[in-house]
Amino acid sequence: MAKPRIAVFKFSSCAGCQLEIVNLENALLDVLGAIDVAYFVMASRDMEEGPYDIGFVEGAVTSPHEIERIKEVRKNCKILVAMGTCACTGGLPSIKNWTSQREMEARVYTELWAINSTTAYGIDHYVPVDVYLRGCPIDLNELVDLVKAALLGVAPPFRPHAICVECKLKENACVMLQGKPCMGPVTAGGCGALCPSHNKGCEGCRGPNNDTNAASLAKTFAEMGLSKADVVRKFRKYAGNTPQFNEGAEAL
Amino acid sequence: MSEKRITVDYLARCEGETGLDIVVGADGKVKDAKVVVFEPPRFFEGFLVGRRYDEVNEIVSRICGICPTPHQLSAVQAIERAMGVEISEQTVDLRKLLALSQWIQSHALHVYMLAAPDYAGFGSVIPMAGVPELLPVVGRALKLKRLGNDLTVAVGGREVHPLTVTVGGFTKIPEKAVLEGIKERLIAAKEDAYETVKLAKVLFDGGLKRGAPNFVRECEHVAINDPNQYAINDGRLVSTMGLNVPNWEYPKVIIEKHVPHSNAKHAIIEGRDSFLVGPLARFNLNFDQLSADAKAAAKEIGFAPGNFNPYANIMARGVELVHSIDESIEIINKLQYKHEVPSYEVKAGESYAVTEAARGICCHGYRVDKYGIVEKGDIVAPTARNVYNMEKDFYELVPMLLNEPDDEITLKCEMLIRSYDPCYSCATHAIKVNLHRLSE
Repeated sequence: MAKPRIAVFKFSSCAGCQLEIVNLENALLDVLGAIDVAYFVMASRDMEEGPYDIGFVEGAVTSPHEIERIKEVRKNCKILVAMGTCACTGGLPSIKNWTSQREMEARVYTELWAINSTTAYGIDHYVPVDVYLRGCPIDLNELVDLVKAALLGVAPPFRPHAICVECKLKENACVMLQGKPCMGPVTAGGCGALCPSHNKGCEGCRGPNNDTNAASLAKTFAEMGLSKADVVRKFRKYAGNTPQFNEGAEAL
Repeated sequence: MSEKRITVDYLARCEGETGLDIVVGADGKVKDAKVVVFEPPRFFEGFLVGRRYDEVNEIVSRICGICPTPHQLSAVQAIERAMGVEISEQTVDLRKLLALSQWIQSHALHVYMLAAPDYAGFGSVIPMAGVPELLPVVGRALKLKRLGNDLTVAVGGREVHPLTVTVGGFTKIPEKAVLEGIKERLIAAKEDAYETVKLAKVLFDGGLKRGAPNFVRECEHVAINDPNQYAINDGRLVSTMGLNVPNWEYPKVIIEKHVPHSNAKHAIIEGRDSFLVGPLARFNLNFDQLSADAKAAAKEIGFAPGNFNPYANIMARGVELVHSIDESIEIINKLQYKHEVPSYEVKAGESYAVTEAARGICCHGYRVDKYGIVEKGDIVAPTARNVYNMEKDFYELVPMLLNEPDDEITLKCEMLIRSYDPCYSCATHAIKVNLHRLSE
C-alpha cells in the first residue's frame, strides 16, 4: 500500500492541536515513516498540492474566506478529520455567537471596516466530516489510534460515553460531591477524565456525549447554588452551538 | 536596476497565518514593508466580557497552543492583583517551574524544528530526519521537547492548555516521585542543552548550508527584570533605552494601534519607536541573572550581551535552555509538596500583569465587578509587540541582501521573521512574505 498523503490545515484556532501532532515525540518518527506529509505549513516550507488522502482541519470557521476555503479543502481530501473542538463544534470562539457581531468587533478593534467575521461554527456546518477528533486540545492517544485505524482501513475506536465512566474506571471521588460543578455527566469521554482527576470539574471541552441529559444537569447546577448566568456560561463555552448543550443553556 | 517585490503568501514554520510584502525601489531602498497577518480575529477580549474571573485563565490559554502557560499565568496574576489575592511561596515556585517547562519545550521546538531547517538547507525537519548524520540531532530535539512536555504534564496536568492553574494557587500539586524522576532526566539533559547552544552557533555562523546575515539594528529591547532571579513571571518592565516601570504599568508606556493591513495591532514605546521582545532582549537585559552554566555556555561560543542582531535569538534560546534546566532542578530541590487550598474573597478591582513567554512579554489586564464578572479585558501577546519591529528591520535588512538571488533574499526575510519565533494566533488577537522590486 502506498503511504497515505496527509495534509494539515489551520482555520480560526490556537494551533495547539497541530502542536499535539509534533508532541507525539516518542512515536513521531514511526508515524512519519508510515505517512507522507504533503501539506503542514506550521512544520514545513514544502507545500504540495492536493488531492490528499486524509485532511486534518484545525479551527473553527469564522470568516467568509474560511467558508470558501473549507469547501475547497473538502474537495481535496478523501477523508476529512475535524481535529479538535474548534473544528468539531466551533469551540471557544463560539462564545461570541450570543453577542451581536458589531458589538464584539467594537470591543476589540477600532478600524471596524477592516474586520470581516462571521458566526463561529464547527466545519460540519459547511461540509460533511468523516471523523471527529474531540477535545481542547485533542488527546494524543486518540490521535495515535486514529492514525493506526487509518493505516489499517478500519473505523477508529472512539467511544462517546460520558466522562463519568472514565472517573469510575479511575476510581476518582466524584467532584460534584465536593461541591464542584462538573460537565462530566454530559461530556464525551476519551481524555481519561483529566480535569476531575486534577480536583476540578470537567468544563465540557469535548462536547456532548451520546446520551445527553443537559437539562437535568442544569437543574442540578442550580440546586448546587449556581446562578442562571453561571449555568449558561457552563453550556455556552466549548460547544454552545450543539443542540444538546443549547438545551442545557436554555433549561432554566 | 529595476524595482523589486518580495512576497511570501503563507509563511511556513511559525504559528499562525501570515505573509510578507516588501517593495524595493530602483534606488535599492525599501519603499514599503508589510507583515500581513491574515489570521482571522477570534475576539478573546470581546467575549471575555461577562465571563467569570475563575475561568479567565482557562479561556485565554486557548489564545495560543504554543504558549498557553504565559497567557494563563499573566491572566491569573492580573486577576489576583485586581482582587487582592495573596499566593504562597510554593505557588510562586510551581508557577515558575511550569513556565520553565514550557520554555524548554518551546525553545527545543524552535531551534531544531522551526529555525534549523533554513540554516541546514531543508524545507522542514522531516527530511532532516532522513539524513543519517542529522538523525541524532533530530532525536535530541525530540528528547528535549518530550522532557519539557513531561515537566508541563507533571505540574500542569497536560502539555497543551495545562489545567491545574487557578486563582490563588493550583487545583492539584505535582507528585514528588514524578518530579524527582524528571529531575534525573533534567540533570542528564544538560549535555543536550550544551549541544544545542553549540548547534545554534554553528547554524548562525553558516556551518551547514547558510548563516545569518550580519545584520545589526540597535532598536529598543524590552523585557521584565528582577535583580534576584532570571525574570519570567514577575519583575519590572525594563529596556535597553532606560525604561524602568512596574510591569502592571505597561498600558501607560506601550501604545497600541490597529493598522488596516494586519489583523494584529502595532506597538510602540510611548515617545519612542518599535521594540523587540523575546530571548535576545532578555539575554541582553538580564544576563547577570542567568545560571552560572548558562553564562559559561554563552561565553564558550563568544555570545555576549549587547547583541542587536535579531537572528542571534537562536543562540539566546540555546542559552536559555541551559538556564531553564538549571533553574527547574533548583526549584524541584526546594519544593516541600505542601497541601494547600486556595482561599480568597471575590472583590471588584482592576489590574495588569506581565510574564515572559518563550517569545517575549505577554501582557494581560482585567477589570472585574464585585461578583468577579469580567467587565474589560486587555491582552497583548509578544508577537503583537514584535510585528512592527520586524517591518522596521526589513527597511535595513533588504538593501544589504540585494546582490543575492531572489529566492535567497526571500528565504532570509522569512528567517528574520522566524527568528522572532512569531505566533500569529496570539498576535491577532500577525505574517505573509512578498518581495517586490519595482521597475525603473
